[in-house]
Amino acid sequence: MSNPLPHAITESLYRDHHSWLRGWLRGRLGCSQQAADLAQDTFLRLMNNRRPLSTIGDKPRALLTHIAKGLVIDHWRKRDVERAYLDALMQLPEGEAPSPETTHLIIETLTRIDAMLWRMSARTRDIFLLAQLEGLTLEQIATQTQTPVITVRRHIHKALLACMELA
Amino acid sequence: MTVAAKEKTIHPAQLKEAADWAISLHYESPGAVHQQAFERWLNTSPAHEDAWQRAQAVFETFKQIDSNTGKTAVRNLQQNHLTRRRALELFSTAFITLSAGWIAHQQLPWQRWTAQVATRTGEQKSLALPDGSRLVLNTASAIDIIFSEHERRVRLIDGEILITTHADSAPTPRPFLVETNNGLLRALGTRFSVRQLDKSHCRLAVFEHAVELHNFTSGQKQQINAGKQIEFAAHGNTAPIPLDNSNALWEKGILLAKGMRLGDVVAELSRYRPGILRCAPEVNELLVSGSLSLVDTEASLALLEKNLPVQISRTTNYWVTVSARI
Repeated sequence: MSNPLPHAITESLYRDHHSWLRGWLRGRLGCSQQAADLAQDTFLRLMNNRRPLSTIGDKPRALLTHIAKGLVIDHWRKRDVERAYLDALMQLPEGEAPSPETTHLIIETLTRIDAMLWRMSARTRDIFLLAQLEGLTLEQIATQTQTPVITVRRHIHKALLACMELA
Repeated sequence: MTVAAKEKTIHPAQLKEAADWAISLHYESPGAVHQQAFERWLNTSPAHEDAWQRAQAVFETFKQIDSNTGKTAVRNLQQNHLTRRRALELFSTAFITLSAGWIAHQQLPWQRWTAQVATRTGEQKSLALPDGSRLVLNTASAIDIIFSEHERRVRLIDGEILITTHADSAPTPRPFLVETNNGLLRALGTRFSVRQLDKSHCRLAVFEHAVELHNFTSGQKQQINAGKQIEFAAHGNTAPIPLDNSNALWEKGILLAKGMRLGDVVAELSRYRPGILRCAPEVNELLVSGSLSLVDTEASLALLEKNLPVQISRTTNYWVTVSARI
């Protein structure tokens, strides 16, 4: 919010680019309602952009597509998270579905966790989850993965730091 | 809860120390001395406390999903990590990879060429390969394409593909191979589809000419001719059965049901939409005939509701059940 675009410029950007951006998003999402929502979000992001005006300069399309791509990826990730959660719920006995509010909260949390785990290497993530989800001690993980305890500790340290960045 | 700590810039060295302490206290069993040393560290500076709060926020976050369902969901996500990573990264890189492949094709079609392609739930993609073959990926699928001097290989990682091969233009024509978890398929000038039904189970349907199937586990080699389909797994191959020609209509976004069980129809539709779509047991055996859209599954559900004694109920938009109409 530190350096919002002057309104006149935002307005002209919106006028010139909103329509093709919506079309572009519709092509990716296959749904015009979602495309409209994400197009609005893209302009909101742009308005709150901290970068100075000059970097937008003559390439508003490139910047808008860049922002929109990030939003589409977030959108897909959220969908993956929802699917993973619902797949997990399927294993519950019929009639034990949690309330919509609970579902919403858990999906929010899962999305945050997914973002944390996303940037880790496969090995770091696997080891971290053995500790975090399965509740194994460092020694147990070392035995199970045939890795020295010191290496297990290093992986978990790395994973934890990555999580702390987003926590 | 975490906002205050988040706004502050914390020195990386202090975050590292905090992570160190968190590991000691959460994953190791600390003795009394440990605990005292930790408290001394924590009280040395407010910056330490901020860093520590940040570490605690991670544990708090995980605590919120500390149920079997939450944990299973995280595991589900990680299991699909590779496919998802590909799908998401491809979104920004596929075009470049494919155009690089295209340039190689213009020069030397038999040169080495690789690509990774994936589709999301409900998405389909059609590709023209450098040798002129055509490949369509169905919903939620992932493949590696590896073309070398000696072979044209497609590795099916997940989902379903339809391939129409083209005669190779390399000086020595290379075989066209499809690798799955359980077997290797060699195209004998042909059009066929392969679907990974689950981790250890594949279905091959041959529409034109023939495909040679080599089952990795049983070592069995078998030629499947046009008009036949077969399932293969570690324990062996099923006998080939006549092909259901409507099988490949998914490429056109259509599910053609000819006296198909409602349970099977619903299972098929659910492949094309995110969330859960279930069929109640009491209506599983109803028979369905007609053409349903795989692209617009909502319309297909509405059609089922209109023509059968069933109702569609929604717990949320992502949890839909088809049951007997009351």
